[in-house]
Amino acid sequence: MTLDEILEGRDPDRLSELSREDMRRLFWMYKGLLKRVERDTAYWQATNDNLRTAYERLDEQERELARAYQTIRQDLEIAQQVQHALLPKDHPEMLARFEFSVYHKQMTEVGGDYYDFYRLRDGSHAIGVFDISGHGVSAALIMAYLKAQLVQTMEQVSRPRDIVEYLNNATVGFLREVRRYATVNFVAFGERTFRYVCGGGYGVLVRGGEVHTFNKGDPFIGLRRRAYSEYELPFETGDVLALYTDGMVEAQDSAGADYSTRRLHELVRTNSELPANQILQRCLDDYGQFRRVDADDITLIVLRRRAA
Amino acid sequence: MSGESEPSEPVVHGALMGGFAQACVNLNIVAGRRATALLADIDMGRWFPLSKWMEIERMVGESYANVEPIRLKLGIEMMRLWYHGGPGKALIHRGADFLHFQTGSHGIASVIRGPREVVGSFDLAEFDSDRGHAVIRSSTPFDKTIERGVLIGGVMAPGDLYYVDVTNDGDPNRLVVEFH
Repeated sequence: MTLDEILEGRDPDRLSELSREDMRRLFWMYKGLLKRVERDTAYWQATNDNLRTAYERLDEQERELARAYQTIRQDLEIAQQVQHALLPKDHPEMLARFEFSVYHKQMTEVGGDYYDFYRLRDGSHAIGVFDISGHGVSAALIMAYLKAQLVQTMEQVSRPRDIVEYLNNATVGFLREVRRYATVNFVAFGERTFRYVCGGGYGVLVRGGEVHTFNKGDPFIGLRRRAYSEYELPFETGDVLALYTDGMVEAQDSAGADYSTRRLHELVRTNSELPANQILQRCLDDYGQFRRVDADDITLIVLRRRAA
Repeated sequence: MSGESEPSEPVVHGALMGGFAQACVNLNIVAGRRATALLADIDMGRWFPLSKWMEIERMVGESYANVEPIRLKLGIEMMRLWYHGGPGKALIHRGADFLHFQTGSHGIASVIRGPREVVGSFDLAEFDSDRGHAVIRSSTPFDKTIERGVLIGGVMAPGDLYYVDVTNDGDPNRLVVEFH
């Protein structure tokens, strides 16, 4: 009987018949096997130890991540408060002349839509609506930057075209550097009219049952230095003006259709006899039923001139 | 790289680097994108600075709390790849051949080049077939546990031996091989 025959399982009881050479082979086979098991056991033990260490590191990193996330959350909450503080709150002078209602919703804690009410150097009231490219903290910071620049701008000039042009010239270098831009819709009110400059913004006037859409062909703020155009429209008691950003009209329903400017304008037109806040609510109700999900920041301002 | 003159900076052949990197990947020492990047970085036909090898050795050391059994396995895995997936089978036919292959640092000289005081030697100093005993004197810059693994893996690879162990008790540069 040879070792190979025994190992093939023919007759293990006949080990004593093995030759000296086969016994020697068997001895080293057994020792070799033990040595391999010893090395493999050490390897797997080390792998197991290392796995435990890796889990411990992972736990620690998870805790660090949670701490960092908490810090970010707190910072975002503060950013949100700061951004709210930058939006207009009390505007009794505007309310004395206009009946208006505002809906402003950011997609995230802080966003890129910005609107404000101004009193120009010539005493007239004005509204600015901006939509800064992107979302989140960076867009909010650009918003704060634009607000600061606007304040300085309005100390220098008072015509809407001059204001927007001055603002663009003052900010284009920086905005190009950070690869951001903003749509602009700036409206200054006269006694029976308003003048506007519109670069990528949205505006609609309903007057005598007719819809007048803003000419929005001027460039966005921050793309290039260029002259802006200014337009004038009549705006008398009872006329309704709606200013908004693209968040609402570009939202889609479950079939992928846009809410559309046409639908919004028609809604403003058919409800133009209602108070401003009810017009706005009708728009929001209709939009809420239509859209599948909000995809962008939304700003909608509805405004009507009060009787003198 | 020409074979006539030694480079002033130590370099390691891509085949050795590739085997080392692949062994790291096979044992999941590196995985995912890091593994892809590590392997993509290595051209088997080129020579690489020794520092790149050392960088991987350091990475292995920093990855584990209990690293010695891993290093040993790494050396064994490298030689398994060298024999079964590389040129090894054509160069050696028995376990003892791998030891003879190291005579005069022949083996190491084919994969590492540079100033002798840096690249050192890996030389068969003693060989006794009857006793199953051999000694390799090593003064290479490589990790000695990985070298032990290389010897175990290289001698075991042809599959003709039942028992192989390499120890370096007392003197890390004296690798004592027992084989049967």
